[in-house]
Amino acid sequence: MIDKIFQKGRETGLNDMEVYYSEGSSLSLKVFQKDLDGYSLSESEGLSLRGVYKGKMGYSYTEKVDETSIDQLVKDAAENALIIDSEDEEYIFEGSKEYKKVDSFNQALSNVGEEQKINFVKSLEEEAFRLDKRIASVEVCIYGDGYGETIMSNTKGLFLRDKSNIAYTYIAVVAKDGEDIKTGMAYRTGNDFNAFNAQDIAREAVDEALALLGAKSVKSGDYNVIIRNSAAADLMEAFTGIFSAEAVQKNLSLLKGKLNEKIASDKFTLIDDPYMEGGLASKSFDGEGVACKYKKVVDKGVLKTYLYNLKTAKKDGVDTTGNASKGSYKSSIGISPSNFFVEKGERTLDEMVADIDKGILITELQGLHSGLNSVSGDFSLAALGFLIQDGKISRPVEQITMAGNYFDMLKNIEETGSDLKFGMPGEAYIGSPSLRIKKLSIAGE
Amino acid sequence: MLNRKLIEDALTAALSIGGDFAEIFVEDRTNNGIVMIGGKVESTMSGRDYGAGIRIFKGFNSVYAYTNKTDRDTLIETAKKAAKAVEGNIIDHTINLIKTDVNNINTIQIDPSSVEKTRKVQVMKKAYDTAFNYDDLITQVSVNYTDYIQNIMVANSQGLWKEDTRVRSRLGISSVASKNGEMQSGFYAPGASKGYEFFENLDIDYYAREASRIAVTMVNAKYSPSGRMPVIIDNGFGGVIFHEACGHGLEATAVAKGLSVFAGKVGQQIASPLVTAIDDGSIPNEWGSYSIDDEGTPSQRNVLIENGILKGYMIDMLNARRMNMDITGSSRRQSYRFSPTSRMSNTFIDNGSSKPEEIIASTEKGLYAKNMGGGSVNPATGEFNFAVMEGYIIEKGKIKEPVRGATLIGKGTEVLNKIDMVGNNLLQGQGMCGSVSGSIPANVGQPMIRVSELTVGGREGE
Repeated sequence: MIDKIFQKGRETGLNDMEVYYSEGSSLSLKVFQKDLDGYSLSESEGLSLRGVYKGKMGYSYTEKVDETSIDQLVKDAAENALIIDSEDEEYIFEGSKEYKKVDSFNQALSNVGEEQKINFVKSLEEEAFRLDKRIASVEVCIYGDGYGETIMSNTKGLFLRDKSNIAYTYIAVVAKDGEDIKTGMAYRTGNDFNAFNAQDIAREAVDEALALLGAKSVKSGDYNVIIRNSAAADLMEAFTGIFSAEAVQKNLSLLKGKLNEKIASDKFTLIDDPYMEGGLASKSFDGEGVACKYKKVVDKGVLKTYLYNLKTAKKDGVDTTGNASKGSYKSSIGISPSNFFVEKGERTLDEMVADIDKGILITELQGLHSGLNSVSGDFSLAALGFLIQDGKISRPVEQITMAGNYFDMLKNIEETGSDLKFGMPGEAYIGSPSLRIKKLSIAGE
Repeated sequence: MLNRKLIEDALTAALSIGGDFAEIFVEDRTNNGIVMIGGKVESTMSGRDYGAGIRIFKGFNSVYAYTNKTDRDTLIETAKKAAKAVEGNIIDHTINLIKTDVNNINTIQIDPSSVEKTRKVQVMKKAYDTAFNYDDLITQVSVNYTDYIQNIMVANSQGLWKEDTRVRSRLGISSVASKNGEMQSGFYAPGASKGYEFFENLDIDYYAREASRIAVTMVNAKYSPSGRMPVIIDNGFGGVIFHEACGHGLEATAVAKGLSVFAGKVGQQIASPLVTAIDDGSIPNEWGSYSIDDEGTPSQRNVLIENGILKGYMIDMLNARRMNMDITGSSRRQSYRFSPTSRMSNTFIDNGSSKPEEIIASTEKGLYAKNMGGGSVNPATGEFNFAVMEGYIIEKGKIKEPVRGATLIGKGTEVLNKIDMVGNNLLQGQGMCGSVSGSIPANVGQPMIRVSELTVGGREGE
């Protein structure tokens, strides 16, 4: 079918063309009160075309992958190319010299039987209830896995193929003590089913909810703050866009003009490693077919590079960093990191807490899609956590906001913990250790 | 979209093991998106989403399967696979579909697919020019154009068989103002269940100027104070407070399993007597409106709260079973990839009697949230947070200097009781609402309201 698309494209006047095809299957299992109350499965596919027409790149896609769609695909791509008036040149890539092998497919996961998965997710819920009688309900208890395969093929001779599978599990529990209600959650992702331990996962969610019971607000003011690993990773993720060369070129990143300048404290090193062991965004080629590579984006506080795709690299007269993204066949080419993380430090979270006379440990940040401005760097986020007094956790804290500016915060990182943790994988897999920040403003009572 | 025999056979296959209800949903949707940055069209994407989802109930449990292929073999095969997940005794089902016409509430005048793309770009250029030329401090403007035509078919084992077409259009304008190395942004994104006539009749200049005005005001603003204080939230998108703080907790998704703080409270006073709140998916041509929901039920006006008393929830077919209550035409999904569930449509606090100027004049000291950003809520605890895009200090009954970076936090149950003034200038705003069944268009709305006390998170002290 790909050849037929290219043939039709040539007849229409498209020059270089590329087809991106993906197919996949997925399963998800949801348990509520010992019952398998949700079961979903899917098999899906989609195909997109991009091609150069009259000097501009046009895109189109379809989920009806058969020959009846070819005419529309080609017509849409040509029409879309015609209205592009950006002068930045987007082009089809002929291929890198070599590609490192990345194995993101684990046969063992495909061999796990459905019965086993159902037993696992039921035991996860059961375990949560068993751990403490204050667990009033389990809001969500899910296991899911998926398999995906993508093919990229273009008229410049590039043909790349990639397949991967992944499993995930997520539990959210509600703890109740009188009128006091608190929630806790835990998740795991990866393609080794045996690494999912129901007891550990349930314990993590339950402990989190219980620890927050009895939480109160605190007095407003500036505090020494430790942002725990998972919350720090969430915050990092929300600001990932500032490292994109696209944002820089479009005047939408304050990192413009800051290359080789100090933008963060010495303690802050930020790495993009597409070949990281166990990385859930590991890949050998990016969304344009360019071989991926390891890079330090920030080294001991100094900004070393932006993240580039072919178009933005050409504009800046540099080589692409292999960070072109193609979220799915529905997306045009953008920019995204791969396994993207803050380098870990030496000491544990407990050791970091022990140094603080009076401060706050933030364990959860909320409203990350609304309470921050990635352009200005300003954030003001609802948060949960604990008050630290005399080097110890003294009590849980709720109904507070943590406010500051991300660019200022990077400069005020006093220490990074040894507890690097990654968030839920999306296009990128983003991680951070716990971060100690000199001063952030906390609003409460 | 599919022939009657195939639908009946697929539904029969879905019930072949022991399910007591089966439904098939087919979607064929064309999307058009154009992005303009700095006055130049940067990217465009158009394409076709196509697929079918099969849902089976057995008591309170449900099974969902979807596929992109709707040929006979794939569909029957998918239905059988899904059926296998259901345990139980086979019930004899005779399926007899009766095709019913849908009463269309969203009249479309101009099919967006019939309009040249260059005309759509002209609309964007106009927005760009107005926004960019608003002030010298404006350094970047992005404009997003979206239109889509979603054809759906839904049929179920009770004989329901309906087809519908939903057309929506939206224009997003985002302005960035810069000053002394700092940047602030302003955003406006009107939308409607209309065709291309939406763009022709839209006051583009107004929205473009508003986006830029907010950015410029905020780049000149100081940081918001923090602490507990009275907060006045203006009409329109300010309704996001009710959406987050209360609306999600009234969706059967949260209520049926007892996970919402509002579960079991129908008939009880849950809000200040000044509050009447409504979810109405049947308002013609509104962004969150639909003729039938994704289970085939006509949309309707649902009174959620009347004078502070909880009247009802938003309920879908599956949760109706668990709750033993009637469905409310509220079952929605992003696409065939999602199993539908109870969601909001156009949700708003109804008009009260105060004049907006009275509300401001009677406030000694507090925050005036003129334009709101987004937010989120934890339905179990009722804790919400949302961002103030454009805020001002109020002193001695007067609106004073602008402040930036304020976030409002609180608990839904508390804030509902602390609404002490409700204005008479109801207005709707458009947003996308994300939840278990995906991201869907939804209106939020309210007149100006005052909350006697809320926690404001900012960077400055009191």
